[in-house]
Amino acid sequence: MPKAVKGVLVQCDPSIKAIILKIDALDHDFIVEDLDDQTLVVKESKLVELKQRLEDELSNTQQMPEESGSE
Amino acid sequence: MSTSSLRSFEYLESLPGTVFKRLYRQPSTALAIFRRMLPHLAKSFVMALLYHSHPLPVADLEQWVRPDSRRERDQALSLLERLHILSIVLNPNSPRAYALTNPFKQSLRLALTGGGDHQSFGVPCDTPDKHSVDVDFLDDFARAQWEGILHYMVGSTGIGMQGGEEVSQGVKKLLELGGLVEIKGRRVEITQAGFSFLLQEINAQVWTLLIFYLENAESVSDMRRFRTLDPFRSQANISVCQLNMDPVDVLSFLFMLGSLELGQDYSLTTLTPTQVKMLDDLRDFGIVYQRKSSSRRFYPTRLATTLTSDAGALRTVSAGFDNALRAGGDSKGFIVIETNYRIYAYTSSPLQIAVLALFSRLSTRYPNMVAGRISRESIRRAIQTGITSDQIISYLGTHAHPQMRKNVPVLPPTVVDQIRLWQIEGERMKATGGFLFKDFVTAEEYDNLANYADEVGVLVWRSDKRRMFFVTRHEQIAAYLRNRPKKLT
Repeated sequence: MPKAVKGVLVQCDPSIKAIILKIDALDHDFIVEDLDDQTLVVKESKLVELKQRLEDELSNTQQMPEESGSE
Repeated sequence: MSTSSLRSFEYLESLPGTVFKRLYRQPSTALAIFRRMLPHLAKSFVMALLYHSHPLPVADLEQWVRPDSRRERDQALSLLERLHILSIVLNPNSPRAYALTNPFKQSLRLALTGGGDHQSFGVPCDTPDKHSVDVDFLDDFARAQWEGILHYMVGSTGIGMQGGEEVSQGVKKLLELGGLVEIKGRRVEITQAGFSFLLQEINAQVWTLLIFYLENAESVSDMRRFRTLDPFRSQANISVCQLNMDPVDVLSFLFMLGSLELGQDYSLTTLTPTQVKMLDDLRDFGIVYQRKSSSRRFYPTRLATTLTSDAGALRTVSAGFDNALRAGGDSKGFIVIETNYRIYAYTSSPLQIAVLALFSRLSTRYPNMVAGRISRESIRRAIQTGITSDQIISYLGTHAHPQMRKNVPVLPPTVVDQIRLWQIEGERMKATGGFLFKDFVTAEEYDNLANYADEVGVLVWRSDKRRMFFVTRHEQIAAYLRNRPKKLT
């Protein structure tokens, strides 16, 4: 008998997925099922937190291009 | 399909079957559901079955649809079942067959061919109104009320509001309960949901607000739900409407309003007490007009009569409404956007300026125009508050200045592409809520179910190698699984 698991399907680039795996590695509290290198299922209740952590992680590593401020 | 019908769909589908039964007793409801909610194929099925005296075998019905359109057929059938319009008749001696459910069938027949004394399409007043009003007046009234509500919502964005109708307490509470605004102390702050609400087309806005209204009306009559709300909120809830409102009454009234004629006055005599009580609230929204609350007649406004228009016709109807709304000096389009991302808006309406400020950085304001530019930063900020790039682009497109309309395409493609790119940049992952199916024993079982999920249009992702797939909703799959073993044995 097949099993159904509730969750949120996340589709992203492999690089982003690597970061998600890294976030999850701390307390294994996000990922329900690791599907392939671009897809995984995470807990619905944790999605907002995951997005936030991902954003934090990326802002630490990425340099945003300067805004051209001319009006 | 437009957002508004999606919203009303979700709400309707969550109702129990008994509610549908009572709803469909009104011919106006049956007709409204038929013309507003159903895709064309589903309409054909309903029309074909409407005067069938016996259930139609499943196999016969399936023959009407070409094999390459199975997906559309299954989607249409499953929608009809979810809306409790079509049911499967199980008879031990004959094959499975489809039939229309009964109150719906009778009501739709009545609605199409007339007859009966159901009076569900409203009763026009038989005496002339001493203070009769014309269509222009109703349009003005609807605009003033509705813009008043929008003004109240954007009033918090810092751009001072001038004029506009005073918004009633009931509407304020409703906006708060619906999560469109938050009241912090004495200040009103617009939420993410509120921002994207502002950018929707007007019919979608009306439906969104009416569904909040419905949920609210129900939570008052349903005491159990009070406990799930925090005490402060439930207090607010009671004060909105202390009457126990029956959702069936509320819904059928809304569907009835959709079938009324603009400019005609209708009598209150056939309305239930709940519906009379509702008139007060609907007047605050600008959906109906009454000269005073003790009046024995009411006029539906354009907001009401377009509620259940056919989805295809809706665009022109809402365009007609937009035109009527801006019948004054400033014509339909007022935005000019250049390839260098500069934006000029010929408007002095605080509402329009506030909406523009959601996704652009305005730098100069003149008596009749504002100037500014859109930037990566301003678009990202808008996207963070829950507005999508498509909403921004369609807003710019529908409000483009006549001078811009001479160009093909209307908006500079570089700007449109860049807005989309700015959004994609922020969306590093795509999230879809739903259910993962796994642990299939045989490949056949997996294939079977995954293909079924694909046909009914709920499949998002599948991996044949790992025998797993992801769907957005599981009800139909579960029903399919339950029916399956019976067939095999």
